[in-house]
Amino acid sequence: MAWVALIPLLPALAFVVMLPMSRRARNAVRWLPAAATIAALGLSVAAFFAVLAVGGEEPVFRASFTLAELGGAPLAVGLRLDAVSAIMLLVVTIVAACVQIYSLDYMRSEDRRGWYFAVLSLFTAAMLLLVLAGDFLLLYMSWEVMGLCSYLLIGFWHEQDAPRSASIKAFLTTRVGDVGFAIGLAAMWASAKSFDFAVVLHGFEWTVPAATVVALGLLFGAMGKSAQVPLHVWLPDAMAGPTPASALIHAATMVAAGVYLVARALPIFHEAAPWVLQLVMAIGVTTALLGALLAVVQHDIKKVLAYSTISQLGYMFIALGAGSEIAALFHLTTHAFFKSLLFLGAGAIIHATHTQDMREMGGLRRSMPWTTTVFVAGALALSGVFPFSGFWSKDDILMVLYTGGHWYALVAALAVAGLTAFYMTRVCVRVFGGSEKAHAHEAHPAMLVPMALLAAITVVVGFTSPAFAGFLGEAKGWPDLGMAAVGTLAALAGIGAGVWVFGLGKVDTAVLKRRLPRVYAAFVNKFYFDTVYGIVFVGAYAHLSGWLARFDVSLIDGAVNGIASAWSKVSSVAWSADVRLIDGAVNGLAGAVTRAGGRMRTLQAGAVQGYQRLAYGALLVLLGASLLVPFVGTTVALAGGAVALLLMGVLVVRGA
Amino acid sequence: MSLIPGLLSAIVFLPLAGAVIVPIAARLAPGAAKWIALAVAAVGLAMTVVLVAGFDVSAAGMQAVTNVSWVEQAGIRYHLGVDGISLAMLALSSLLGLIAVIASWKITERAPAYFAMLLLLQVGMNGVFVALDFVLFYVFWELVLVPMFFLIGMWGGARRDYASVKFFIYTLAGSVFMLIGIIALYLSAGTFDMVELAAKGASGAFGIGFQNWVFLAFFLGFAVKVPVWPLHTWLPDAHVEAPTAASVLLAGILLKMGTYGFIRVSLPMLPQAAAAWAPWISVLAAISIVYGAAVAFAQTDLKKLVAYSSVSHMGFVMLGIFSLTAAGLNGAVAVMFSHGVVTGMLFLIVGIVYDRAHTREIAKIGGLSQAMPVTGGLLAFAAFASLGLPGLSGFVGEFLSLVGSWQSAVIPQWVTIVAAIGVLLAAAYTLWMVLRVVLGKPTETVTGLPDATPREIGMLVPLIALTVIVGVWWSSLLAFVDPAVRALVAVITKAV
Amino acid sequence: MTVGPVPFMALAAILFAIGLFGALSKKSAVMVLMSLELMTNAVNLNLVAVSRFVTPESMAGQFTAAFVMVVAAAEIGLGLALVLALYRKRRTVELDHIDELKG
Repeated sequence: MAWVALIPLLPALAFVVMLPMSRRARNAVRWLPAAATIAALGLSVAAFFAVLAVGGEEPVFRASFTLAELGGAPLAVGLRLDAVSAIMLLVVTIVAACVQIYSLDYMRSEDRRGWYFAVLSLFTAAMLLLVLAGDFLLLYMSWEVMGLCSYLLIGFWHEQDAPRSASIKAFLTTRVGDVGFAIGLAAMWASAKSFDFAVVLHGFEWTVPAATVVALGLLFGAMGKSAQVPLHVWLPDAMAGPTPASALIHAATMVAAGVYLVARALPIFHEAAPWVLQLVMAIGVTTALLGALLAVVQHDIKKVLAYSTISQLGYMFIALGAGSEIAALFHLTTHAFFKSLLFLGAGAIIHATHTQDMREMGGLRRSMPWTTTVFVAGALALSGVFPFSGFWSKDDILMVLYTGGHWYALVAALAVAGLTAFYMTRVCVRVFGGSEKAHAHEAHPAMLVPMALLAAITVVVGFTSPAFAGFLGEAKGWPDLGMAAVGTLAALAGIGAGVWVFGLGKVDTAVLKRRLPRVYAAFVNKFYFDTVYGIVFVGAYAHLSGWLARFDVSLIDGAVNGIASAWSKVSSVAWSADVRLIDGAVNGLAGAVTRAGGRMRTLQAGAVQGYQRLAYGALLVLLGASLLVPFVGTTVALAGGAVALLLMGVLVVRGA
Repeated sequence: MSLIPGLLSAIVFLPLAGAVIVPIAARLAPGAAKWIALAVAAVGLAMTVVLVAGFDVSAAGMQAVTNVSWVEQAGIRYHLGVDGISLAMLALSSLLGLIAVIASWKITERAPAYFAMLLLLQVGMNGVFVALDFVLFYVFWELVLVPMFFLIGMWGGARRDYASVKFFIYTLAGSVFMLIGIIALYLSAGTFDMVELAAKGASGAFGIGFQNWVFLAFFLGFAVKVPVWPLHTWLPDAHVEAPTAASVLLAGILLKMGTYGFIRVSLPMLPQAAAAWAPWISVLAAISIVYGAAVAFAQTDLKKLVAYSSVSHMGFVMLGIFSLTAAGLNGAVAVMFSHGVVTGMLFLIVGIVYDRAHTREIAKIGGLSQAMPVTGGLLAFAAFASLGLPGLSGFVGEFLSLVGSWQSAVIPQWVTIVAAIGVLLAAAYTLWMVLRVVLGKPTETVTGLPDATPREIGMLVPLIALTVIVGVWWSSLLAFVDPAVRALVAVITKAV
Repeated sequence: MTVGPVPFMALAAILFAIGLFGALSKKSAVMVLMSLELMTNAVNLNLVAVSRFVTPESMAGQFTAAFVMVVAAAEIGLGLALVLALYRKRRTVELDHIDELKG
C-alpha cells in the first residue's frame, strides 16, 4: 500500500521539475501538473476502494518517519489512510483535476501561466499531504505550505496593487491563527509527548484543562484558515487572484482545511471544557450570518461567492460545534463540488464579459446556455434545493441541530439558508435574467467539461448521504421528511423573495438604501471589520514599529552613545587633570628645583677666603665639640656641634 | 572511533598559516591572495567534512580530543574537542568561511590584507567552538574582534569608523566580564578545563551565591554577543557598514558564539543559577523576538532590516536554551544553524543587489522579480526560509523552541505566547519587504541591471540545499545535536 | 736634658695660628698660599716632634712629614701656576676682585 505516498508525491514532483525552468520551458510543460493530478486521482480512487474493502475504524495504511529525537524521545510524522482521508482524497483530486483542466484554457493568454500551474501543483500536493497526514505536525507543515501557495496565487498579478496587498493580508491573517495552532501543538506535545492521531485522539487520557488549551489553539488556527469571524477578512480580498485558483483554494479545499482539522481533532474537543464546543458553534453561527448578510450587497460576482463561502464554512462549524464531524464533512464535500462549480462558472462569465461587476452583466442565458445551466445547478445546490447535493448536506446539519436541541443555532441556520437562496437568486437574476447588456460567447469545451462533471457530481452526490455516513462509521437513514420540508421551505422563501425583489423589481432597493443609510453603510463597509483592523492592528503596529525604531536609535543606542560620549568627557577631564595636576606637579617640582638651584648658585661667588673661614670655623666647632665630650656627654656635644654648623650655614647663605 | 589526531588543530590553525602566507605571496604574484584564501578555506571545509563523516553520533562525550599540557605552571592546557553541538557550529563556520571568500572575489582594494583578515577571522571562529580550556577559549573569543574591526573599518560603508569602534569596544567590554567569570571559576575550582568544570558544576561544587555572580559575569559577556535586548544596538550599525562577506560571518557565526557560550559554559557549569535566572532571561528573549521584529518592520534600509531580524531570531535561540528542555535546546541549536545559513543567504543576496544598484534603500529597489528574476526568486526563497516556513530549516528550530519553552518548568507560559506572536510579526516584516522589493513594478534603479552571475548563484547553492535538507530531514542536523543535548539536560535536571 | 715634645708642639701651634690668620685675612693670593705653606710646615713640625719623642721606634711621623713636604711642593707649584694664569688674565691677584661666580 506504499503507493499511497505517491498521491501527494506526484504533484509535488511536477512542481519541483517545473521550478528551475525558464518561463518558456515552464509554459510548455504546463499540462504536467494536470497529468500528475489525474494520476493522483486514479490512485485516490484505488485508495478509496481499498478502504471500502477493509472497512472498520482502523486506518488501512500507516507510514511513519522519525524526524528527530528530542532528548531520546522520538518525534515522528507519518501518513494515514483511513475512511476520512479516503473521502478527502477523492474530493481534493477531483476538484483539483477539474480546475487544472479548466485553467489550461482560462490562463491561455497569460504570460506567466507556467508558474501558475507549478504553484497550483504544489498546492495540490500540500493539500493531499494534509489529508493523508497521520499526525498534527505534518498537518501543520502542509497547512503552512498551502498558505504559501495561496499567497503566491493571490498575488499572481503582483504588478497591480490589489493582488499584492491581498496576498500579504491573507498570509498574515491566517498566520494569526497559526500562532494559536502552534501553541496548541506545543501544549499537545507537553501533555501527550506525541502528535500522532492514534495516540492523541484515541490513546491518551486528556485532562480537561490540557484538552481545553489544545482545542482552543487548534480552533484558533482553524478560524484563520477557514475564514471564521473575526479572521475572515482575507477571503473576500483573495478574490484578486485568478478565478480557477479561487475555485480550488478559496472555495473547495484550503479553506476547508480548518474544518477538516477540527473534525479530526473533535475527540480532543469532546475532552475539553464544554464551553469550547459551544464557542465553536457560536463562531459558526456568527460567521454564517455575517457571510450571508454581506453576500446580499456585493456587486462583484466573485465577492458574492467569497462571502457565500464564508457563510457555508460557518455552517460547517455549526455542525462541528454540535459534535457531528460527519455532517460537517459531508457539507464540506458537497460544498467543495458546487462551490468550485460556481466559481468556475463565474470564471467563464468573467472571461466572456470582461467584467466582474454584475451590474454590467445580463441576459447571459441566451449567449451562454451551457454555462447558465451548470451555474444554476450550482446555485440551486447552494440554496439547498432538492435533489441537489446542498439540500442533503444542509438537511443533515439541521437534523443534527434539531436532535441536539440547539434551538438558536437551528433558527439561525434556517435564516441563513433563506438568505443564501435569496442572494443566489439575486445573482442568477442579475447575470442570466433580463436583457443582454453585452454580448458574450459560450465557454470553451476545455472549460465546460470540468464544469459539467462537477455539476453532474453535484446532482448525484447528495443521494450518497447515508452511504457517506456509513462509510465513516455512523448508521444513518434517509432524511426526516419534516426537517426536509422546513429546509426546503426556507430555500423556497429565499428564492421567492429574490425573484420578488430582483426579478420582478417589486422592491426599490435604492429607497431602502436612502431610508437606512447607516445600516447600508455598515453593509458596504463589511461591518467595519477591515476598518477596525486597519486602525487597531495594522495602523497601530506600524506606528508602534516606527516608534520602537526611533526609540531604539534615540534611547537605547542613545544610551550606548551617551555612555561613550560620557566616557570620552571623563577621559578628557582626566587628560586635563593629567596635564594640569600630575604633570603640573612634575613640572612644578622641576621649576622649584630650578629656582632653588638659581639661588644656590649665588653661593658660588668665588669668595675663597669666605670658604676658608667656613671650613676652619666648622673644624673649630667640631674640635670644640669633641673636647667637650668628657664633660657633657657625646650626644649633647654632637647635637651642639650640629646646631652650630647649621647656624653657620644659614649665616653664609643669608650673607650670599 | 579514531579520527585523525590533530585534525581539529589543523582545522583551527590552517587559516592562520594562510593569513601569514597571503601577504607574502601577494607580493610575488598580485591577485594570488584570493586564490590562496580560496584554497585554504576549501581545504578547511574538506577537513571538516572528514570530521563530520567520522563523527560517532551515538556517543555523548567529546570527540577528536587533543589534550596536552601547555602552560604547566598556570594549569593551562591545550585542550580541543567537539561534541554534536560544536561540530554543527564548526561545520557552519567552515562552510560560511569558504562562501565568504567566494563572495569577496571582486575585492581589489588592498586585497591581500582583506583576505588575510578573513582567514584570521576563520581561526578565531573555528577555535571558539572547539576550545575546551578556558584560556584557549578566551584567546579565540577575543581573536575574532581584531579582524572584524579591520574588515568593517577599512572596507566598510560610509559610517564604518563609528561602527567598527562601537562593535569592538562594546563586545570587548562584555568579554572583560567574561574574563572575570573565568578567573572566578579558576580560583574556586582550580582548573581552566571546561570539561572538568562542567563535571564540577554538575556535581554541585559551586554554591548558589557564587554561581549567581559568576553567571551574571558570563551573562554580560555572552549577552552582548548574541545580542540580547537591550545590549543589541551595536549590531545594526556593524551589519550595515560591514562589507558583504563580513556581514555574512558576523551574522552567521559571531552571533552564535554568544549562544554557544551559554550552552557550553553557563548551563553545565552553573546549572542552579541558570535555572534561577531563566524566567528573567526568557522575558528578555521574548522582548528580543518581538522588539526585533517590530523594529525590522519600520526599516527602510534592507541590510538594517536583516540585522534586526537577526536580533529577533536570536531571541528564539535564547528562549530555547533557557527552557532547559531537550526540545528547547535542540530547537535552539537548530535555529543557530539555520539562521546562520539563511541570514548568510540574505546578506549575500542583498550584497548582489547592492553591488549593482549601489543602494540598500528599499524604496529604491523594487520589482526584482521582473528586473532580476533569479535574484528576486532567491530573495523570496530566503525570505520564506527566514520566516520559518515548514519544509525549510527555519521552522525546525522555531517550532522546537516554542515546544520546549511551553513545556519548560522555568519559563511562564505567557512568555511562550508572546514569543509565538513573534512568528506572526516575522511574517509581517519579511512579506512587507518581499512585497516592496521582489513584487510589483521594477523601479528605475534596478531596471536594466544584470542578474546574478554563476559565481553568485553557485555560492548560494550549498546554502539553499542545506535549508531544504535540514527542513525536510530534521535528523540530518539533530542526530548530531541530540546526544549532546541529552547529556546537558541530564546535568541540569539533576542539579535543579 | 729631656726636652719633650711640648715645646715643639707649642711652636707648631703658634706657627699654625699665624698661618691660619694669614690665610683668612690676607688679600693677596700669593700671601694666602704662603700662609697655607706655613700651616703645612707647622703640621710637619708637629708630626716629627710627636713621632721623635713619643714613639721613637716607629718613624711614622718622619715618613709622613717627608711625604707631606713633597705633596706641599707639588701643590704650591700648582697654586702659583694658577695665580700666574689668573694674574695674566686679570692683572691682579687680590682675592676680593675675583668674584665672577657670584649670582
